[in-house]
Amino acid sequence: MKISDFLKIVMAVGFITFSLPVFADTVSDSDQPLSEVACRYEMKVTSFSTPKPKALFTTAWFFWRKPNMIQTQDADGDHGEIWERTANGSIQYRKLYHIDKTAVEYMPTDMPANNMKFDWFKLSGMLSKEELNTLKLIKIKSVLGRNAELRKGNINGQALEVLWLPNENLPASIIRKDKKSRMELRLIDITPLSVSAKKPVALEEISDYRHIDAADFGDMENDPFVKKLMSAEGHHHH
Amino acid sequence: MQFFKKLNLIAAVSILTVGTAHAVEPTPVDWFNAGYQTVFNAKRLIANNRHAKNVILFIGDGMGVSTITASRIYDGQTKGGHGEENSLSFEKLPYLALSKTYSVDQQTPDSAPTMTAMVTGVKTIGDSLSVNQYVVHSEKNANIINANKLATILEQAKQHGLSAGIVSTARITHATPAATYAHTANRDWEGDSDKLAGATVPDIAAQLVDFNISGGIDVALGGGRTRFIPNTVKDPEYGVSGKRKDGRNLTVDWTTKHRNARYVWNQAGFDAIDPNTTDHLLGLFEPSHVHYEADRVAYDQSGEPSLTQMTTKAIDILKKNQKGYFLMVEGGRIDHAHHSGNAYRALTETQQFAAAVKAAMDATDPLETLIIVTADHSHVFTIGGYPQRGNPILGLTQGVGATTPDLDLLGLPYTTLNYANGTGYTGASNAQPAGSKTFTIPATAGWASGSEGHNPTSFQPANGRPILDSAKVEDDNYLQEAIVPLSAETHAAEDVAIFAGGPKAHLFHGILEQNVIYHVMAEALGFN
Repeated sequence: MKISDFLKIVMAVGFITFSLPVFADTVSDSDQPLSEVACRYEMKVTSFSTPKPKALFTTAWFFWRKPNMIQTQDADGDHGEIWERTANGSIQYRKLYHIDKTAVEYMPTDMPANNMKFDWFKLSGMLSKEELNTLKLIKIKSVLGRNAELRKGNINGQALEVLWLPNENLPASIIRKDKKSRMELRLIDITPLSVSAKKPVALEEISDYRHIDAADFGDMENDPFVKKLMSAEGHHHH
Repeated sequence: MQFFKKLNLIAAVSILTVGTAHAVEPTPVDWFNAGYQTVFNAKRLIANNRHAKNVILFIGDGMGVSTITASRIYDGQTKGGHGEENSLSFEKLPYLALSKTYSVDQQTPDSAPTMTAMVTGVKTIGDSLSVNQYVVHSEKNANIINANKLATILEQAKQHGLSAGIVSTARITHATPAATYAHTANRDWEGDSDKLAGATVPDIAAQLVDFNISGGIDVALGGGRTRFIPNTVKDPEYGVSGKRKDGRNLTVDWTTKHRNARYVWNQAGFDAIDPNTTDHLLGLFEPSHVHYEADRVAYDQSGEPSLTQMTTKAIDILKKNQKGYFLMVEGGRIDHAHHSGNAYRALTETQQFAAAVKAAMDATDPLETLIIVTADHSHVFTIGGYPQRGNPILGLTQGVGATTPDLDLLGLPYTTLNYANGTGYTGASNAQPAGSKTFTIPATAGWASGSEGHNPTSFQPANGRPILDSAKVEDDNYLQEAIVPLSAETHAAEDVAIFAGGPKAHLFHGILEQNVIYHVMAEALGFN
């Protein structure tokens, strides 16, 4: 997968799952036990900005959840992201470039500057408690043999339709649409992490990656990896 | 009569240099007298030809002349004045020169060869730290590094029995501080896990702690903890793992290798340090760079000292040596804020940097301490348009006598501060929609993490310019418009200023090669 495609996915996932800023006043759920799961999601993005709806892209990605780790990876396995919750509640976030064996770190120091604080519940389930509470429960359904709540509502001017798996604290689907686009995230497969054939990249392996602080990008203009990362998209006009 | 004339001159100078919100505007006579007073003072300026007991080298990383001017105005405006008449602390130093910053292979340099030039007297190639130009980039062989390493002013100071310290808001292993004590052909080899396989040259963090001239480095304060602790040890503040794979805990090594040594990592530990009983102090206040000054107090969960506090503590420890000391202080995040395209944080970082210089000026005797304030390189940061006197430096340009902002040929207002390139380009990026860009995550963001600010990897062509208003452009997180879309704003090649006061400071004059700075310091300390 090209880096550009990966970034599209990250954007799209973000659009669906992280549309609300994750500020400090979001509900803390540090005690909530969540099951360890391995999921495969599919993402479809359609644009309405043309006379006829146009499918922009469809893609698949993996999602793994442990009590203190969330990891995602594109279907090709080239790129991913990882969030780790440490013993004191801090959250370490890294973007993973598996082919380059490189991790880009976003340091806690620079997060306040960006008015940013992670909400572990939202990272673990893609929707915050506030968002879920905003959505009206329409009915109970069964999806992939599991109980699911169909919830609908509007958030930030966008219509949101969610099939929520309350036992797993995960979405079976999220459809978010406005006048310009429609993004659909759909759960394809979910298994306990212990029996999943597809595993996340081990932390030990990631610790062997080269690590770069994102704040250093501006001073690494000659670094081959940074050059590749930037030029991969920089020349590309949509 | 002479007494009153002197008072008038002082008043005029005061009006022109301090500035208050409702200060009486200088009259033509005031302007004239202030100008005269400046010349009068200059005529009485006597070159200090003594040898320096101490040398303090301040580096504003990326602090080009436009950054100094804008920071001066910002600082003055935060004090309630128009701003233009204000002077930052170091602008009051008596001697000034310009520094040519190019490196052996770069027209626009990075911080490694520029700092190497300043602390060794020799220009070298990009990314290299205190090794000569004949060493290839990323040379792995320690023998080759040793054969080509350049003696630094810090090493020479230690050899002459002086004390030595380094202070930075960047990682203490970052290029600028590292050039004073480390020798390597890749500035990014800050920890052992950063090096190429098979590299025998020690990593930068190890070189700091293993520095063995005259008892080792006396003070090292900054960021960059994770390169000092092993991957089996958790960070005390955030719980993330260390990065060292060799098993060494360099913070422990620091305290065991040195006499009367302490290691601290937060404000409380820092405050508890008694300079009279501490001879070697290592302070690492963040896993990577420390907070921007604009965010430090509000957001650092364990507390960390300001650049001013670190500078003062360093001087208090170093000054115990009757032979003197060499101290390097870096305002390292001016550069980072510019790379992010966020003028507000660049200016507030410079403001804090100036406060640190003032603290050093207050704590030392100009007869015996040479203070040099300069930058390693500039940034593509511009102050444009024809704003009226006192116009908010972060605001929209509004001309003399105008009641509304000036308009461009599209009929749109614009800011005084802009960048020639970088992240503030107003076309849609892969991270933010078309229009003005912001350092922080927007409310309708599509970016999953948001923690990196605006770090785009692609842009679409801009369609015209955005409609700006004062609230938007004066927001702390606003990214000034950039002409050329890049993932990060870049350094610039124009000369940077050298301000100096104290013994041999008069040797700074005219336009100098950057490596002359070393030679003035060596002359001042009597090393030549």
